[in-house]
Amino acid sequence: MDCNRSNIADWSYETAEDSGLRFIDRLKRCPREPDPLVYAARLLSALVIRGWLKTYNRLEISGRENLPNSGPFVLVANHSSHLDAVALMSALPLRSLHRTYPVAAKDYFCANRRRVLPAAIVANAMFFDRNESAEHSLKLCRELLEDRNEVLIVFPEGTRTVDGRVGLFRRGVGQLLAGTEYPAIPCYIGGTFKSWPKGSRLPRPARVKLSIGEARTYKSVAPDSLGVLRVCADLQNAVIALGAVSGRESVRSFSQEAYQ
Amino acid sequence: MSPSIALSNEVFRIFAVLTTSLLVIGGIIIAVVRYGFHKDVTHAWDSYRGWLVMIPVISISLFAGRAVAICFFSVIAILAFTEYARATGLHRNLVMMFTSLAGIVGIAVVVLFGDSRNGGFDNYGLFMSIPVFVSAALLLASIVQNRPEGQLKAIALSLFGFLYIGWMFGHVSFLANARNSYGYLLYLLFAVELNDVAAFVCGKLFGRRPLCTNVSPWKTREGALGAVIISALFPLAVRFALPDFSIVECIIAGLIVGVGGHLGDLSISVIKRDVGVKDMGTLIRGHGGVLDRIDSLLYSAPLFFHFARYSHGL
Repeated sequence: MDCNRSNIADWSYETAEDSGLRFIDRLKRCPREPDPLVYAARLLSALVIRGWLKTYNRLEISGRENLPNSGPFVLVANHSSHLDAVALMSALPLRSLHRTYPVAAKDYFCANRRRVLPAAIVANAMFFDRNESAEHSLKLCRELLEDRNEVLIVFPEGTRTVDGRVGLFRRGVGQLLAGTEYPAIPCYIGGTFKSWPKGSRLPRPARVKLSIGEARTYKSVAPDSLGVLRVCADLQNAVIALGAVSGRESVRSFSQEAYQ
Repeated sequence: MSPSIALSNEVFRIFAVLTTSLLVIGGIIIAVVRYGFHKDVTHAWDSYRGWLVMIPVISISLFAGRAVAICFFSVIAILAFTEYARATGLHRNLVMMFTSLAGIVGIAVVVLFGDSRNGGFDNYGLFMSIPVFVSAALLLASIVQNRPEGQLKAIALSLFGFLYIGWMFGHVSFLANARNSYGYLLYLLFAVELNDVAAFVCGKLFGRRPLCTNVSPWKTREGALGAVIISALFPLAVRFALPDFSIVECIIAGLIVGVGGHLGDLSISVIKRDVGVKDMGTLIRGHGGVLDRIDSLLYSAPLFFHFARYSHGL
Protein backbone atom coordinates (compact mmCIF):
# COMPACT_ATOMS: atom_id res chain seq x y z
CA MET A 1 0.00 0.00 0.00
CA ASP A 2 2.80 2.36 0.98
CA CYS A 3 4.56 1.49 -2.21
CA ASN A 4 1.53 2.39 -4.29
CA ARG A 5 1.11 5.64 -2.49
CA SER A 6 4.67 6.74 -3.08
CA ASN A 7 4.34 5.89 -6.76
CA ILE A 8 1.36 8.17 -7.11
CA ALA A 9 3.10 10.95 -5.19
CA ASP A 10 6.23 10.55 -7.30
CA TRP A 11 4.45 11.72 -10.40
CA SER A 12 6.43 14.84 -11.18
CA TYR A 13 5.44 17.84 -13.25
CA GLU A 14 7.86 19.65 -15.50
CA THR A 15 6.41 23.13 -15.09
CA ALA A 16 7.35 25.62 -17.79
CA GLU A 17 10.69 27.19 -16.89
CA ASP A 18 9.44 30.66 -17.76
CA SER A 19 6.37 30.36 -15.57
CA GLY A 20 5.66 33.62 -13.77
CA LEU A 21 7.03 35.77 -16.60
CA ARG A 22 4.77 37.98 -18.64
CA PHE A 23 4.07 36.93 -22.23
CA ILE A 24 6.36 39.56 -23.74
CA ASP A 25 9.24 38.55 -21.47
CA ARG A 26 8.71 34.90 -22.32
CA LEU A 27 9.14 35.79 -25.97
CA LYS A 28 12.48 37.45 -25.27
CA ARG A 29 13.92 34.26 -23.82
CA CYS A 30 15.60 31.55 -25.81
CA PRO A 31 15.01 28.65 -26.13
CA ARG A 32 11.35 29.40 -25.55
CA GLU A 33 8.88 27.00 -24.01
CA PRO A 34 6.51 25.67 -26.66
CA ASP A 35 3.25 27.58 -26.78
CA PRO A 36 0.52 26.11 -28.99
CA LEU A 37 -0.94 29.53 -29.77
CA VAL A 38 2.43 30.97 -30.80
CA TYR A 39 3.12 27.86 -32.88
CA ALA A 40 -0.21 28.19 -34.63
CA ALA A 41 0.39 31.89 -35.33
CA ARG A 42 3.88 31.16 -36.63
CA LEU A 43 2.68 28.40 -38.92
CA LEU A 44 -0.08 30.58 -40.30
CA SER A 45 2.27 33.51 -40.90
CA ALA A 46 4.85 31.21 -42.49
CA LEU A 47 2.26 30.04 -45.02
CA VAL A 48 1.25 33.61 -45.78
CA ILE A 49 4.87 34.80 -46.05
CA ARG A 50 5.85 31.92 -48.35
CA GLY A 51 2.97 32.74 -50.65
CA TRP A 52 3.75 36.43 -50.48
CA LEU A 53 7.47 36.04 -51.27
CA LYS A 54 6.70 33.71 -54.15
CA THR A 55 4.20 36.05 -55.79
CA TYR A 56 5.14 39.57 -54.75
CA ASN A 57 8.92 39.11 -54.75
CA ARG A 58 9.00 36.14 -57.16
CA LEU A 59 11.43 34.40 -54.78
CA GLU A 60 13.73 32.02 -56.59
CA ILE A 61 15.73 29.49 -54.61
CA SER A 62 18.70 27.63 -56.08
CA GLY A 63 20.85 25.01 -54.41
CA ARG A 64 18.16 23.59 -52.14
CA GLU A 65 19.83 20.19 -52.42
CA ASN A 66 22.71 21.55 -50.32
CA LEU A 67 20.51 21.74 -47.24
CA PRO A 68 20.92 18.84 -44.78
CA ASN A 69 17.75 16.94 -43.93
CA SER A 70 17.91 17.75 -40.24
CA GLY A 71 19.77 19.91 -37.79
CA PRO A 72 22.13 20.90 -36.39
CA PHE A 73 23.41 23.23 -39.06
CA VAL A 74 24.06 26.94 -39.53
CA LEU A 75 22.89 29.06 -42.44
CA VAL A 76 25.29 31.96 -43.02
CA ALA A 77 24.06 34.77 -45.22
CA ASN A 78 24.56 38.40 -46.16
CA HIS A 79 22.10 40.81 -44.59
CA SER A 80 20.43 43.78 -46.22
CA SER A 81 16.78 43.61 -45.17
CA HIS A 82 14.23 42.23 -42.75
CA LEU A 83 13.16 40.00 -45.61
CA ASP A 84 16.39 38.01 -45.40
CA ALA A 85 15.45 35.92 -42.37
CA VAL A 86 11.98 35.00 -43.64
CA ALA A 87 13.33 34.31 -47.14
CA LEU A 88 15.89 31.89 -45.68
CA MET A 89 13.25 30.29 -43.47
CA SER A 90 11.03 29.67 -46.47
CA ALA A 91 13.82 27.64 -48.07
CA LEU A 92 13.54 25.17 -45.17
CA PRO A 93 10.68 22.67 -44.85
CA LEU A 94 7.73 23.65 -42.68
CA ARG A 95 8.39 20.89 -40.17
CA SER A 96 11.60 22.61 -39.05
CA LEU A 97 9.85 25.97 -38.71
CA HIS A 98 9.87 26.03 -34.91
CA ARG A 99 13.41 24.63 -34.79
CA THR A 100 14.99 27.39 -36.86
CA TYR A 101 16.35 30.40 -35.03
CA PRO A 102 17.49 33.50 -36.91
CA VAL A 103 20.06 35.14 -34.65
CA ALA A 104 18.88 38.73 -34.15
CA ALA A 105 20.36 41.73 -32.38
CA LYS A 106 18.91 42.02 -28.90
CA ASP A 107 19.48 45.76 -28.55
CA TYR A 108 17.53 46.43 -31.75
CA PHE A 109 14.69 43.89 -31.58
CA CYS A 110 14.04 43.96 -27.84
CA ALA A 111 13.84 47.76 -27.86
CA ASN A 112 10.06 47.78 -28.14
CA ARG A 113 7.03 45.55 -28.45
CA ARG A 114 6.46 46.30 -32.11
CA ARG A 115 9.77 44.60 -32.85
CA VAL A 116 9.76 41.81 -30.24
CA LEU A 117 6.36 40.40 -31.19
CA PRO A 118 6.94 39.84 -34.92
CA ALA A 119 10.58 38.82 -34.44
CA ALA A 120 9.76 36.19 -31.82
CA ILE A 121 6.39 34.98 -33.07
CA VAL A 122 6.84 35.10 -36.85
CA ALA A 123 10.58 34.54 -37.21
CA ASN A 124 11.30 32.60 -33.98
CA ALA A 125 14.30 34.89 -33.46
CA MET A 126 17.01 34.15 -30.95
CA PHE A 127 18.02 37.47 -29.44
CA PHE A 128 21.79 37.86 -29.42
CA ASP A 129 23.43 40.36 -27.14
CA ARG A 130 25.94 42.22 -29.30
CA ASN A 131 27.45 44.07 -26.37
CA GLU A 132 28.33 43.01 -22.84
CA SER A 133 27.19 39.40 -22.66
CA ALA A 134 28.07 38.36 -26.20
CA GLU A 135 29.96 35.44 -24.68
CA HIS A 136 26.79 34.25 -22.97
CA SER A 137 24.75 34.55 -26.15
CA LEU A 138 27.38 32.65 -28.07
CA LYS A 139 27.20 29.87 -25.49
CA LEU A 140 23.43 29.76 -25.96
CA CYS A 141 23.90 29.38 -29.72
CA ARG A 142 26.24 26.45 -29.11
CA GLU A 143 23.71 24.85 -26.77
CA LEU A 144 20.99 25.17 -29.39
CA LEU A 145 23.20 23.30 -31.87
CA GLU A 146 24.73 20.83 -29.45
CA ASP A 147 21.85 19.83 -27.16
CA ARG A 148 18.78 20.47 -29.27
CA ASN A 149 19.98 19.92 -32.87
CA GLU A 150 18.38 23.18 -33.97
CA VAL A 151 19.04 25.26 -37.07
CA LEU A 152 20.61 28.70 -36.74
CA ILE A 153 20.44 31.50 -39.27
CA VAL A 154 23.38 33.85 -38.81
CA PHE A 155 24.07 37.18 -40.48
CA PRO A 156 27.75 37.65 -39.62
CA GLU A 157 27.81 41.26 -40.79
CA GLY A 158 25.93 41.97 -37.59
CA THR A 159 23.68 44.57 -39.18
CA ARG A 160 21.81 45.35 -42.36
CA THR A 161 24.00 46.78 -45.11
CA VAL A 162 23.34 50.39 -46.03
CA ASP A 163 24.60 50.27 -49.62
CA GLY A 164 23.65 46.76 -50.76
CA ARG A 165 27.21 45.46 -50.67
CA VAL A 166 28.39 42.58 -48.52
CA GLY A 167 30.08 43.97 -45.45
CA LEU A 168 32.81 42.67 -43.17
CA PHE A 169 31.98 39.37 -41.44
CA ARG A 170 32.32 39.76 -37.67
CA ARG A 171 34.14 37.26 -35.53
CA GLY A 172 31.09 35.78 -33.77
CA VAL A 173 30.37 33.28 -36.51
CA GLY A 174 33.99 32.17 -36.48
CA GLN A 175 33.95 31.70 -32.72
CA LEU A 176 30.79 29.67 -33.09
CA LEU A 177 32.07 27.38 -35.84
CA ALA A 178 35.87 27.06 -35.49
CA GLY A 179 36.82 23.58 -34.32
CA THR A 180 33.28 22.19 -34.50
CA GLU A 181 31.67 19.80 -36.94
CA TYR A 182 28.41 21.65 -37.47
CA PRO A 183 27.81 22.15 -41.17
CA ALA A 184 27.86 25.82 -42.17
CA ILE A 185 25.93 26.61 -45.32
CA PRO A 186 26.80 29.87 -47.07
CA CYS A 187 23.83 31.59 -48.70
CA TYR A 188 23.58 34.70 -50.82
CA ILE A 189 20.37 36.68 -50.91
CA GLY A 190 20.05 39.21 -53.72
CA GLY A 191 17.24 41.64 -54.32
CA THR A 192 16.05 42.14 -50.78
CA PHE A 193 18.06 45.35 -50.63
CA LYS A 194 16.10 46.67 -53.60
CA SER A 195 12.85 45.39 -52.17
CA TRP A 196 13.04 46.50 -48.56
CA PRO A 197 16.25 48.27 -47.53
CA LYS A 198 17.00 49.65 -44.10
CA GLY A 199 14.83 52.66 -43.40
CA SER A 200 12.15 52.00 -46.00
CA ARG A 201 8.64 51.48 -44.75
CA LEU A 202 7.08 48.89 -47.01
CA PRO A 203 8.64 46.23 -49.26
CA ARG A 204 8.59 46.87 -53.01
CA PRO A 205 7.97 44.06 -55.51
CA ALA A 206 11.60 43.51 -56.48
CA ARG A 207 12.73 40.06 -57.58
CA VAL A 208 14.51 38.14 -54.79
CA LYS A 209 17.02 35.41 -55.48
CA LEU A 210 18.41 33.04 -52.87
CA SER A 211 21.46 30.91 -53.68
CA ILE A 212 22.39 28.16 -51.26
CA GLY A 213 25.99 26.97 -51.36
CA GLU A 214 27.65 23.73 -50.40
CA ALA A 215 28.02 22.91 -46.73
CA ARG A 216 31.44 23.21 -45.15
CA THR A 217 32.77 22.30 -41.71
CA TYR A 218 35.64 23.74 -39.72
CA LYS A 219 36.60 20.77 -37.58
CA SER A 220 40.29 21.13 -38.38
CA VAL A 221 40.45 24.88 -37.75
CA ALA A 222 41.89 25.71 -34.35
CA PRO A 223 39.46 27.77 -32.25
CA ASP A 224 42.02 30.53 -31.63
CA SER A 225 41.89 34.08 -32.95
CA LEU A 226 43.64 33.17 -36.22
CA GLY A 227 41.29 30.24 -36.81
CA VAL A 228 38.29 32.42 -36.10
CA LEU A 229 39.41 34.91 -38.73
CA ARG A 230 40.03 32.11 -41.21
CA VAL A 231 36.50 30.81 -40.76
CA CYS A 232 35.13 34.33 -41.23
CA ALA A 233 37.17 34.91 -44.35
CA ASP A 234 36.24 31.55 -45.84
CA LEU A 235 32.52 32.09 -45.25
CA GLN A 236 32.66 35.65 -46.53
CA ASN A 237 34.39 34.52 -49.72
CA ALA A 238 31.87 31.72 -50.15
CA VAL A 239 28.92 34.09 -49.78
CA ILE A 240 30.44 36.63 -52.14
CA ALA A 241 31.23 33.90 -54.67
CA LEU A 242 27.62 32.75 -54.59
CA GLY A 243 26.54 36.32 -55.22
CA ALA A 244 28.94 36.65 -58.14
CA VAL A 245 27.65 33.44 -59.72
CA SER A 246 24.09 34.64 -59.35
CA GLY A 247 25.14 37.69 -61.38
CA ARG A 248 24.67 40.57 -59.04
CA GLU A 249 26.84 43.49 -59.88
CA SER A 250 26.44 44.95 -56.42
CA VAL A 251 28.66 42.21 -55.05
CA ARG A 252 32.23 43.30 -54.66
CA SER A 253 34.91 41.29 -53.02
CA PHE A 254 35.94 42.74 -49.71
CA SER A 255 39.51 43.73 -49.12
CA GLN A 256 41.35 40.95 -47.31
CA GLU A 257 43.61 43.44 -45.57
CA ALA A 258 41.10 43.63 -42.78
CA TYR A 259 42.12 40.16 -41.67
CA GLN A 260 45.85 40.67 -41.62
CA MET B 1 -28.71 37.36 -28.09
CA SER B 2 -27.80 40.26 -30.37
CA PRO B 3 -26.97 43.94 -29.89
CA SER B 4 -30.54 45.06 -30.51
CA ILE B 5 -32.00 42.49 -28.12
CA ALA B 6 -29.36 43.42 -25.53
CA LEU B 7 -30.39 47.08 -25.71
CA SER B 8 -34.05 46.28 -25.20
CA ASN B 9 -33.33 43.64 -22.56
CA GLU B 10 -34.05 44.91 -19.07
CA VAL B 11 -31.67 42.47 -17.37
CA PHE B 12 -28.74 43.48 -19.58
CA ARG B 13 -29.39 47.18 -19.05
CA ILE B 14 -29.69 46.86 -15.28
CA PHE B 15 -26.50 44.82 -15.01
CA ALA B 16 -24.68 47.27 -17.29
CA VAL B 17 -25.67 50.15 -15.02
CA LEU B 18 -24.86 48.08 -11.93
CA THR B 19 -21.33 47.11 -13.01
CA THR B 20 -20.55 50.58 -14.31
CA SER B 21 -21.62 52.19 -11.06
CA LEU B 22 -19.68 49.60 -9.04
CA LEU B 23 -16.58 50.39 -11.09
CA VAL B 24 -17.06 54.11 -10.50
CA ILE B 25 -17.69 53.63 -6.77
CA GLY B 26 -14.67 51.33 -6.50
CA GLY B 27 -12.51 53.89 -8.24
CA ILE B 28 -13.72 56.66 -5.95
CA ILE B 29 -13.06 54.55 -2.84
CA ILE B 30 -9.53 53.75 -3.99
CA ALA B 31 -8.91 57.41 -4.82
CA VAL B 32 -10.21 58.52 -1.40
CA VAL B 33 -8.09 55.99 0.47
CA ARG B 34 -5.05 56.91 -1.58
CA TYR B 35 -5.28 60.71 -1.57
CA GLY B 36 -7.50 61.28 1.47
CA PHE B 37 -5.89 58.89 3.93
CA HIS B 38 -2.50 58.50 2.20
CA LYS B 39 -2.58 54.73 2.47
CA ASP B 40 -0.80 52.31 0.17
CA VAL B 41 -3.35 51.03 -2.34
CA THR B 42 -0.99 49.35 -4.85
CA HIS B 43 -2.60 45.94 -4.41
CA ALA B 44 -6.18 47.21 -4.65
CA TRP B 45 -5.27 49.42 -7.61
CA ASP B 46 -3.69 46.50 -9.50
CA SER B 47 -6.77 44.42 -8.97
CA TYR B 48 -9.07 47.33 -9.87
CA ARG B 49 -7.14 47.97 -13.05
CA GLY B 50 -7.68 44.34 -14.00
CA TRP B 51 -11.42 44.83 -13.61
CA LEU B 52 -11.29 48.03 -15.65
CA VAL B 53 -10.21 45.86 -18.58
CA MET B 54 -12.16 42.70 -17.85
CA ILE B 55 -15.61 44.20 -17.33
CA PRO B 56 -15.72 46.08 -20.65
CA VAL B 57 -14.36 43.06 -22.53
CA ILE B 58 -16.98 40.73 -21.03
CA SER B 59 -19.79 43.27 -21.49
CA ILE B 60 -18.93 43.95 -25.11
CA SER B 61 -18.72 40.27 -26.00
CA LEU B 62 -22.09 39.58 -24.35
CA PHE B 63 -23.56 42.68 -26.01
CA ALA B 64 -22.28 41.68 -29.45
CA GLY B 65 -24.44 38.60 -29.53
CA ARG B 66 -24.56 34.85 -29.10
CA ALA B 67 -21.81 33.88 -31.56
CA VAL B 68 -19.34 36.44 -30.25
CA ALA B 69 -20.08 35.47 -26.65
CA ILE B 70 -19.54 31.76 -27.38
CA CYS B 71 -16.29 32.49 -29.23
CA PHE B 72 -15.16 34.71 -26.36
CA PHE B 73 -15.80 31.99 -23.78
CA SER B 74 -13.95 29.49 -25.97
CA VAL B 75 -10.92 31.77 -26.22
CA ILE B 76 -10.96 32.08 -22.43
CA ALA B 77 -11.09 28.28 -22.15
CA ILE B 78 -8.18 27.90 -24.58
CA LEU B 79 -6.06 30.43 -22.68
CA ALA B 80 -6.92 28.77 -19.36
CA PHE B 81 -6.10 25.32 -20.72
CA THR B 82 -2.76 26.57 -22.01
CA GLU B 83 -1.94 27.95 -18.56
CA TYR B 84 -2.84 24.62 -16.98
CA ALA B 85 -0.68 22.81 -19.54
CA ARG B 86 2.27 25.11 -18.89
CA ALA B 87 1.97 24.48 -15.16
CA THR B 88 1.82 20.69 -15.47
CA GLY B 89 4.40 20.37 -18.27
CA LEU B 90 1.81 19.06 -20.72
CA HIS B 91 2.63 21.95 -23.07
CA ARG B 92 5.70 20.11 -24.34
CA ASN B 93 3.52 17.34 -25.77
CA LEU B 94 2.18 19.23 -28.75
CA VAL B 95 0.05 16.42 -30.14
CA MET B 96 -1.89 16.08 -26.88
CA MET B 97 -2.11 19.85 -26.62
CA PHE B 98 -3.60 20.29 -30.05
CA THR B 99 -5.98 17.34 -29.55
CA SER B 100 -7.32 18.84 -26.33
CA LEU B 101 -7.56 22.31 -27.84
CA ALA B 102 -9.41 20.81 -30.80
CA GLY B 103 -11.85 19.39 -28.26
CA ILE B 104 -12.40 22.88 -26.86
CA VAL B 105 -12.99 24.22 -30.38
CA GLY B 106 -15.36 21.28 -30.89
CA ILE B 107 -17.37 22.39 -27.87
CA ALA B 108 -17.64 25.86 -29.35
CA VAL B 109 -18.85 24.42 -32.65
CA VAL B 110 -21.44 22.20 -30.98
CA VAL B 111 -22.74 25.05 -28.85
CA LEU B 112 -22.67 27.51 -31.72
CA PHE B 113 -24.47 25.48 -34.36
CA GLY B 114 -26.95 23.66 -32.19
CA ASP B 115 -29.50 26.33 -31.47
CA SER B 116 -32.56 24.12 -31.29
CA ARG B 117 -35.01 26.96 -30.83
CA ASN B 118 -33.93 28.60 -34.08
CA GLY B 119 -34.18 25.48 -36.17
CA GLY B 120 -30.73 24.00 -35.37
CA PHE B 121 -30.30 20.47 -34.07
CA ASP B 122 -30.77 19.65 -30.41
CA ASN B 123 -27.16 19.77 -29.24
CA TYR B 124 -27.60 18.98 -25.54
CA GLY B 125 -26.95 15.25 -25.97
CA LEU B 126 -23.92 15.84 -28.17
CA PHE B 127 -22.55 18.46 -25.79
CA MET B 128 -22.83 16.05 -22.87
CA SER B 129 -21.09 13.24 -24.78
CA ILE B 130 -18.11 15.30 -26.01
CA PRO B 131 -15.74 13.80 -23.36
CA VAL B 132 -16.29 10.37 -24.93
CA PHE B 133 -14.97 11.59 -28.24
CA VAL B 134 -12.09 13.50 -26.71
CA SER B 135 -10.98 10.44 -24.69
CA ALA B 136 -11.03 8.41 -27.87
CA ALA B 137 -9.15 11.10 -29.78
CA LEU B 138 -6.43 11.36 -27.12
CA LEU B 139 -5.84 7.60 -27.20
CA LEU B 140 -5.90 7.71 -30.97
CA ALA B 141 -3.21 10.38 -30.87
CA SER B 142 -0.92 8.00 -28.97
CA ILE B 143 -1.68 5.15 -31.36
CA VAL B 144 -1.01 7.24 -34.45
CA GLN B 145 2.31 8.38 -32.99
CA ASN B 146 3.13 4.73 -32.24
CA ARG B 147 4.51 5.78 -28.87
CA PRO B 148 3.47 4.17 -25.58
CA GLU B 149 6.06 5.74 -23.24
CA GLY B 150 4.64 8.30 -20.85
CA GLN B 151 1.36 8.40 -22.72
CA LEU B 152 -0.93 7.54 -19.82
CA LYS B 153 0.35 10.53 -17.91
CA ALA B 154 -0.10 12.78 -20.93
CA ILE B 155 -3.57 11.42 -21.63
CA ALA B 156 -4.57 11.74 -17.97
CA LEU B 157 -3.35 15.33 -17.79
CA SER B 158 -4.99 16.27 -21.09
CA LEU B 159 -8.28 14.57 -20.35
CA PHE B 160 -8.59 16.08 -16.89
CA GLY B 161 -7.66 19.49 -18.21
CA PHE B 162 -10.17 19.18 -21.01
CA LEU B 163 -12.95 17.99 -18.71
CA TYR B 164 -12.36 20.57 -16.05
CA ILE B 165 -11.36 23.60 -18.07
CA GLY B 166 -12.77 22.95 -21.51
CA TRP B 167 -15.97 21.10 -20.89
CA MET B 168 -17.08 22.36 -17.49
CA PHE B 169 -16.39 25.92 -18.57
CA GLY B 170 -18.17 25.09 -21.83
CA HIS B 171 -21.40 25.04 -19.81
CA VAL B 172 -21.10 28.81 -19.57
CA SER B 173 -21.08 29.01 -23.38
CA PHE B 174 -24.10 26.73 -23.50
CA LEU B 175 -26.05 29.15 -21.29
CA ALA B 176 -25.84 31.62 -24.20
CA ASN B 177 -28.37 29.40 -25.98
CA ALA B 178 -30.88 29.62 -23.14
CA ARG B 179 -34.17 31.49 -23.46
CA ASN B 180 -33.17 33.71 -20.55
CA SER B 181 -29.52 33.84 -21.63
CA TYR B 182 -28.77 37.35 -20.35
CA GLY B 183 -30.35 36.60 -16.99
CA TYR B 184 -28.52 33.31 -16.48
CA LEU B 185 -25.13 34.47 -17.76
CA LEU B 186 -25.07 37.84 -16.06
CA TYR B 187 -26.39 36.43 -12.79
CA LEU B 188 -23.81 33.63 -12.85
CA LEU B 189 -20.82 35.81 -13.73
CA PHE B 190 -21.80 38.55 -11.30
CA ALA B 191 -22.68 36.19 -8.44
CA VAL B 192 -19.43 34.25 -8.75
CA GLU B 193 -17.35 37.41 -8.58
CA LEU B 194 -19.48 38.77 -5.74
CA ASN B 195 -18.87 35.52 -3.90
CA ASP B 196 -15.10 35.93 -4.29
CA VAL B 197 -15.19 39.52 -3.11
CA ALA B 198 -17.51 38.64 -0.20
CA ALA B 199 -15.21 35.82 0.92
CA PHE B 200 -12.24 38.21 0.84
CA VAL B 201 -14.04 40.97 2.74
CA CYS B 202 -15.64 38.64 5.34
CA GLY B 203 -12.33 36.89 5.81
CA LYS B 204 -10.57 40.24 6.43
CA LEU B 205 -13.28 41.39 8.86
CA PHE B 206 -14.13 38.25 10.82
CA GLY B 207 -11.59 35.64 9.78
CA ARG B 208 -10.20 33.66 12.71
CA ARG B 209 -10.17 29.94 12.03
CA PRO B 210 -8.50 28.60 8.88
CA LEU B 211 -10.59 26.62 6.42
CA CYS B 212 -8.22 24.33 4.59
CA THR B 213 -4.65 25.25 5.54
CA ASN B 214 -2.69 22.91 3.30
CA VAL B 215 -4.60 23.84 0.19
CA SER B 216 -5.11 27.55 0.66
CA PRO B 217 -3.58 29.08 3.78
CA TRP B 218 -5.44 32.41 3.74
CA LYS B 219 -9.01 31.14 3.49
CA THR B 220 -10.99 31.26 6.73
CA ARG B 221 -14.18 29.53 7.81
CA GLU B 222 -15.76 32.85 8.72
CA GLY B 223 -14.97 34.26 5.30
CA ALA B 224 -16.43 31.23 3.55
CA LEU B 225 -19.56 31.21 5.72
CA GLY B 226 -20.16 34.91 5.24
CA ALA B 227 -19.72 34.60 1.49
CA VAL B 228 -22.10 31.65 1.29
CA ILE B 229 -24.76 33.61 3.19
CA ILE B 230 -24.35 36.68 0.98
CA SER B 231 -24.37 34.53 -2.15
CA ALA B 232 -27.51 32.67 -1.00
CA LEU B 233 -29.34 35.97 -0.51
CA PHE B 234 -28.03 37.67 -3.65
CA PRO B 235 -30.49 36.05 -6.14
CA LEU B 236 -33.36 37.46 -4.08
CA ALA B 237 -31.96 40.93 -4.73
CA VAL B 238 -31.75 40.31 -8.49
CA ARG B 239 -34.95 38.34 -9.00
CA PHE B 240 -35.54 40.23 -12.24
CA ALA B 241 -32.65 38.22 -13.69
CA LEU B 242 -34.20 34.89 -12.72
CA PRO B 243 -37.91 35.58 -13.28
CA ASP B 244 -39.08 31.95 -13.31
CA PHE B 245 -37.36 31.01 -10.07
CA SER B 246 -39.34 30.70 -6.85
CA ILE B 247 -37.83 31.98 -3.60
CA VAL B 248 -36.55 28.52 -2.65
CA GLU B 249 -35.07 28.03 -6.10
CA CYS B 250 -33.38 31.42 -5.86
CA ILE B 251 -31.76 30.43 -2.58
CA ILE B 252 -30.63 27.12 -4.05
CA ALA B 253 -29.14 28.95 -7.05
CA GLY B 254 -27.34 31.24 -4.60
CA LEU B 255 -26.02 28.33 -2.54
CA ILE B 256 -24.76 26.65 -5.72
CA VAL B 257 -22.68 29.70 -6.51
CA GLY B 258 -21.60 30.23 -2.89
CA VAL B 259 -20.48 26.67 -2.22
CA GLY B 260 -19.43 25.86 -5.78
CA GLY B 261 -17.39 29.03 -6.02
CA HIS B 262 -15.36 28.13 -2.95
CA LEU B 263 -14.86 24.57 -4.06
CA GLY B 264 -13.72 25.77 -7.48
CA ASP B 265 -11.25 28.16 -5.89
CA LEU B 266 -9.89 25.39 -3.66
CA SER B 267 -9.76 22.93 -6.58
CA ILE B 268 -7.42 25.12 -8.56
CA SER B 269 -5.42 25.68 -5.35
CA VAL B 270 -5.03 21.89 -5.02
CA ILE B 271 -3.57 21.75 -8.53
CA LYS B 272 -1.34 24.78 -7.91
CA ARG B 273 0.00 23.40 -4.62
CA ASP B 274 0.66 19.97 -6.08
CA VAL B 275 2.44 21.36 -9.13
CA GLY B 276 4.19 24.02 -7.05
CA VAL B 277 3.32 27.26 -8.79
CA LYS B 278 1.98 30.41 -7.18
CA ASP B 279 -0.21 31.64 -10.01
CA MET B 280 -1.32 29.83 -13.11
CA GLY B 281 -0.35 32.70 -15.39
CA THR B 282 0.38 36.39 -15.73
CA LEU B 283 -2.12 37.56 -18.31
CA ILE B 284 -4.30 39.70 -16.04
CA ARG B 285 -2.19 42.04 -13.99
CA GLY B 286 -3.22 42.00 -10.34
CA HIS B 287 -5.19 38.77 -10.77
CA GLY B 288 -2.66 36.23 -11.98
CA GLY B 289 -3.71 34.10 -14.90
CA VAL B 290 -7.02 33.52 -16.64
CA LEU B 291 -7.38 30.26 -14.75
CA ASP B 292 -6.94 32.02 -11.41
CA ARG B 293 -9.77 34.33 -12.37
CA ILE B 294 -12.28 31.76 -13.62
CA ASP B 295 -11.55 29.08 -11.01
CA SER B 296 -14.78 29.64 -9.08
CA LEU B 297 -16.79 29.71 -12.28
CA LEU B 298 -15.48 26.32 -13.41
CA TYR B 299 -17.13 24.57 -10.50
CA SER B 300 -20.35 26.49 -10.19
CA ALA B 301 -21.22 26.82 -13.91
CA PRO B 302 -22.18 23.16 -14.52
CA LEU B 303 -24.05 22.98 -11.20
CA PHE B 304 -26.05 26.10 -12.01
CA PHE B 305 -26.57 24.96 -15.59
CA HIS B 306 -28.10 21.66 -14.59
CA PHE B 307 -30.15 23.21 -11.82
CA ALA B 308 -31.61 25.78 -14.20
CA ARG B 309 -32.19 23.20 -16.89
CA TYR B 310 -33.79 20.73 -14.48
CA SER B 311 -36.09 23.23 -12.85
CA HIS B 312 -37.16 25.34 -15.84
CA GLY B 313 -35.56 24.07 -19.02
CA LEU B 314 -33.12 26.20 -20.90
